[in-house]
Formats: sequence, C-alpha cells, structure tokens
Amino acid sequence: MRTVESEIEGEFMAKRILITLTLWLAAGLALAAEQPPAPAAAPAAVAKKVSASTADHTKFKQLQQSFGSGPEVTKACLECHTEAAKQIHRTSHWTWEFMNPENKQRLGKRNIVNNFCTAVPSNYEFCTACHIGYNWKDETFDFTSESNVDCLVCHDTTGTYRKLPGLAGHPAYQEMEFPPHSGKKVKPVDLTKVAQNVGKTSRETCGACHFYGGGGDGVKHGDMDSSLKMPGRYLDVHMDAKGLNFSCGTCHMATSHQVPGSRYMPTAVDREGAHVRGKADKTNPATCVACHGNGPHEHEPLLDTHARKIACQTCHIPQYARGNVATKTLWDWSTAGQLSPDGKPIMRKDSAGRVVYDSKKGDFRFDSHAIPTYIWFNGKVNYTLLGTPIGATGVTRINQFEGGPDDGKSMIWPVKVFHGKQPYDAQTKSLVIPHTYGGEGDDTAYWSNFDWEKAIAAGMKSVNAPYSGKFGFVETEMSWPITHMVAPKQDALACDQCHSRSGRLKDIGGIYIPGRDHNRLIDLIGFALAGLTLIGVIGHGIGRYISNRKRA
Amino acid sequence: MLKVLGGFVAGLLVLGLTLWNAASHLMFTERESPFGLEETVARIQANIVAQKDKGWSLSGLRNPARAVNQAGGNVLPVMMVEACSPHYSKPILKDDTTRFLSILMPCKVTVYKKNDGKVYIGMMNAALVGKLFGATVGGVMAQVAQDQAKFVEFDPSKPAPPLIQGTEGGGSGSGGSGPGGGGGC
Repeated sequence: MRTVESEIEGEFMAKRILITLTLWLAAGLALAAEQPPAPAAAPAAVAKKVSASTADHTKFKQLQQSFGSGPEVTKACLECHTEAAKQIHRTSHWTWEFMNPENKQRLGKRNIVNNFCTAVPSNYEFCTACHIGYNWKDETFDFTSESNVDCLVCHDTTGTYRKLPGLAGHPAYQEMEFPPHSGKKVKPVDLTKVAQNVGKTSRETCGACHFYGGGGDGVKHGDMDSSLKMPGRYLDVHMDAKGLNFSCGTCHMATSHQVPGSRYMPTAVDREGAHVRGKADKTNPATCVACHGNGPHEHEPLLDTHARKIACQTCHIPQYARGNVATKTLWDWSTAGQLSPDGKPIMRKDSAGRVVYDSKKGDFRFDSHAIPTYIWFNGKVNYTLLGTPIGATGVTRINQFEGGPDDGKSMIWPVKVFHGKQPYDAQTKSLVIPHTYGGEGDDTAYWSNFDWEKAIAAGMKSVNAPYSGKFGFVETEMSWPITHMVAPKQDALACDQCHSRSGRLKDIGGIYIPGRDHNRLIDLIGFALAGLTLIGVIGHGIGRYISNRKRA
Repeated sequence: MLKVLGGFVAGLLVLGLTLWNAASHLMFTERESPFGLEETVARIQANIVAQKDKGWSLSGLRNPARAVNQAGGNVLPVMMVEACSPHYSKPILKDDTTRFLSILMPCKVTVYKKNDGKVYIGMMNAALVGKLFGATVGGVMAQVAQDQAKFVEFDPSKPAPPLIQGTEGGGSGSGGSGPGGGGGC
C-alpha cells in the first residue's frame, strides 16, 4: 500500500534521476563536441600483418601434398624456381670449399683442420647438419644433384625445421630419440607446413647454423649466438628487434644466392665509401663503410682520422658475447677419454651450468662479455692445413692474420683468439684428422671407443693422408674477427680505454698512441717547462714579499 | 701567533685532503678474483651458506647491469650477492637510534668484471663503517667484518659449486628474497 510519504519520496527520486540524466547528456554532448570523430575501424592493431611477398605458397598445387623427405620438397620448389639449385651449387655454402685467389690455399670446411671439432672428413653425417644439402654421408656425395639442395633450412619461417647431427643433413622424418640414448624425443617435422610457409632468410634461419658453430650456442665466433635472434638495442643497434631489426641479409645482401662476406678473405679495409643505389659497386656490401661511408662521425673530425687506422669494430664492439651466452675460449682435446669407475663417459659443469669437461671432447673454458684481442690486419689469412709442417713445441696458429702498421693496407681489428690443444702426427709434424663421430657398430670413431690411435688412423685414411701411427697433442690458436654485436654509439670505447698505458691497445706496435706511449725528449721538455713555471711563480712571490717588506 | 695559527690551519687542510683522498679506499675494498664471474659468485655463496651457524643466509643475487641493458645501454657484468644474519641485524634493528642503519642491509658482496678482462670483488669495510656509529654498532659490525672476510676465502682445490640463482633485478626496485629467505633482514 502506497503512502503519501512514499509518493513524495518517489516523485523526488524521479526528479533526481531526470536531472542526473540531463546532466550526463549535456556533459556527453560537450565531450563529443570537443573530441574528433572516432575512426571507422581500428587499423593495424587488429588487422593481420600483410605479407610483402607476391606469392602465397599455401596456394601452390606443388606444395599441397604430403612430403616424405626433404629432397621431395626441393623437387617441388624447383618446378617454379628452376635456377635456384644451379645457383646454390656455385656457392661456398654448398661446396664448403673456398680457393684463396691470393695464396692459392684450398680452404673451406671440407679442407681445413680447426681447433674446435677439428675436421669434417670422416665425420660427414654429423657435421653436415649445417650443410645446405641432404645426404652428404661420405666422399661420394653428389655435388651436382639438384634435389640434394636443402631449400627449407634457409627459407623456413615456422621455426620448426631442424636438421639433426648424425642424419647427413636431414631433419627428423619420424619421432626419434635425440641425442641418442638421452631419453629426449624429437618430433618429426611437418614438411608440408614448412614448404607452404617459406620466406626470406632471417636471423633465426642463418643462426640455425652460424650461431651454433663449433658444436654449441656461441661456441665458435663469440659475436654470434642465439641472443641475436631477438636482440635488444644494447646488444646490437642494427639487429635490435624493436628498432632497426636488421636480418643477416640486410648487410650480407645476396645476389643469386651468393652471400657476401667471408672469414677466409675478410675485407679488412674498405676505402670505397658508401654504396649507392643504381651504381655498380663491386666491393663487399657487408662492411660498415658500405653504408656509413668513410667519414661517419658528424662534427667529430678527430674520430674520422682514427678511422683511417682503426676498424669501426674496434671502438664500436667493446666486448663480445654480451648477450648472456658465453663463448668457448679453450678446447683441450688432450684430456678427453676420462671415464667413470664403471667405464662410462662423464661430464662436469661449471658454476654457470656449462659443460667444462666431456669425456668425448676434453676440457673447455668459457668467457662472456669478453674483451677482444687487437691486431693489425690487412685481410690476408694464412692457414695451417693438413700436411703443413708445424712445430712440436710452442703454439701453432691455425690461421695467421697478416698485417702491420707499415703496409698501408692494415687496420687495427678486434679478434677472438681461441685456444686449443689437439692431436697431431708426432713424426710427420702435421695436424691430423681424427674420426670422431661414428654410427652404431663403428669401432674406429673416438666418441665410441675413446681410442685416439684408431680414430686418427681412420680419419687420415678417409682423406688418403699419411699417418705415422705416433701422435701427440699440440697447442693451437685460431683467430676470429669480431664484427657483430655492435653497441650503441654511446657505449663505444672511450678515449682513455686506449690512450693509457694499460689500455686496450697496449700490445699494438708500430703506432704512437698519446697517453700510452712516451717520448723522453718530449717528456723532458714538458717537465722542464712545468718546473720553470713553478720556479718563476715562486720567485715572483718571493720578490713581491721582499719588496713589500722593504716598503713597510 | 699568526704564524702558529696559519700553520695549524695549513696542517688541518693537509690532513683533510689526505683523509678525503683515502676515504674511499678505507671504506670500501676491492680485490681481484682468481676465478671467473659466475664461479666467484658461486664460491662466495657457498662460503656464506657455510656460515649458517652464525645465522648467515643468502637473501638475493642482483644483476644491476641487466637494468642498464634493458634501458638500451651496455655495462660490464656486475653481480651482487646479498646475505643477512639476524644475529647481527637484530641488535641494530631493535634500537630506535640505530634502525636507520637498516639502509646497510642486507650485507653485500659485489663481483664484477673490468675492462682489463679480470674479475674483481668489492666489499664495504664493515668494521670501519661500524665505528662511526658508536660502541654497539661498532661491536656488531666488527663481527660482521670477520665473517665477511671468510666469504671471500677461496679453496681452489674444491670444485666449482653451482651458482645459486636468487632474485635478479636491480634498478627496478624489486629485490625480494632469494634462497634462504631474508634471513631476518
């Protein structure tokens, strides 16, 4: 039953609601008048990223099928990209061979002996996980086969294509245990999905091999590791994922699948200046100068004069392995073969959880935020190859970087020096190739039998090289130019980091560096001038004092 | 008289300058580590945990260099091992006149790399700092200093212990407590 009071209260409430609504409406209209009209549709935030490619590979009939192997995919690719395999066949990515035109040394992965995993011959099935091909199991590999070219390893965009060591360049086609006897399972790759989603190369595809050189993340180069997949600005200003976001191909711009840039014959000095669009530049496009020119320091002409003798990398890559992935600095094969009391291989880890001893490989040492070694370098590299005589004592340089202050072709470069101790033929005084990886039942592989005699004999036999039967271990060094992980310019080396007696360039000879070097005559003149000034000031003061007293 | 006063003032100035110059070296110590960065940190952590009978526990592991990285800059790695013992923190935190010294807690040992490629250990001279705040604090901090010295006594014959990952951060203000909790700090 409604009362008068309740009616009055109800009327009051109705008025309040009406007034409130009116005020809200007025405020809304006022706001609407001030604000610009809303866009018809929210653009990029919700819209799917539009591909820049002119081809959608999911629509190609050739790729709408189930593939049983990598070579089957390659055949499908070649139906449209008819010249691709022929181009690949001419690259060192395919041949793993490089003929140095200056000293005629036959280099490339197939020919050199390094101080990491040592050598490819006799270990093909394992090493060729990083070859852009399939089926390289032994010396009979068919380099002319087009279907043996692996398109997917460079052009995968799904991140699911992975070639496993031991499969001669193939990915897993069925679920398998990897590493063998580890209990870990690797799922088979979906070749159709990968084939339908091919695209440009990326940091991830190049990095699938180049980040893992030497048998693990960041092991070999020091300036390339998995932290460069999505780097921050601090790690690399060019590859900064939220900034310039360069892929490897932005600098190493390939033409007909030929990727410029070589560690066998690096461009140590580039006097050509910046590359210009439309101009036929024949110099290496991957150098700093190719974009920045030879006078890149605006309003800092003094720094440009430095750039005549100092490589850009020297100042702008203050440390390498800066992405929280340590790089290997030493590999001592001579300690390999220690087994547990029950005869099983062992592993030891350091405080950071990195393997520092492995029965199969020996002792390791790591470093992160590593300070480079600095050398004069003119781009010429001489290798100690199989058969090159070496000394039984002292350190053998696997690759000798040439250059000096007076040749007019050298600059001061930062390098990573990797230290090793590896087997050599004690009689012929030559490096040797050990057969390390072998499949089931292979009694000659070191990782199976821990027998150096058998392993070296098998490795040397595989390349028809002589082996005396007597081996030892020799200390070796291998240098790697540091050229990635370019820091922001604010973090380049400061003046006093070189211009001091114990600075970065303390061991660089043939150049006068103020602050580091001293000339006795100049020092004497300087001290004499300072001393005379002091005497003059004191004498003047005494004269003023005496004359003042006399006046008083 | 003027000469005496002048001499006294000059003496004070010289003393002041000498103390000013030496203060940083007296208040803080730096020594080179024979090990790499992570191993140095891990060995310090192991030494701290070994002094459990004195109440010591790890309260964090910070990496201030990471904050610099996130801001787009580079600095060489720095790792700060934080430890605390309620045996020593309690008397200081209990007294209203010394509670402000909680700013010195937890006890820190910093491990860092320099441009010479070597790893260094930095510590505060707890004994000297303690003396500035009276007998109670001075006595506590003298004992802390004795324990601190053991944090950085290394036995190279022992294998490298694993790094104990505590709370890393720095710069963002999130310290938190790592393994072993705050240990009373």
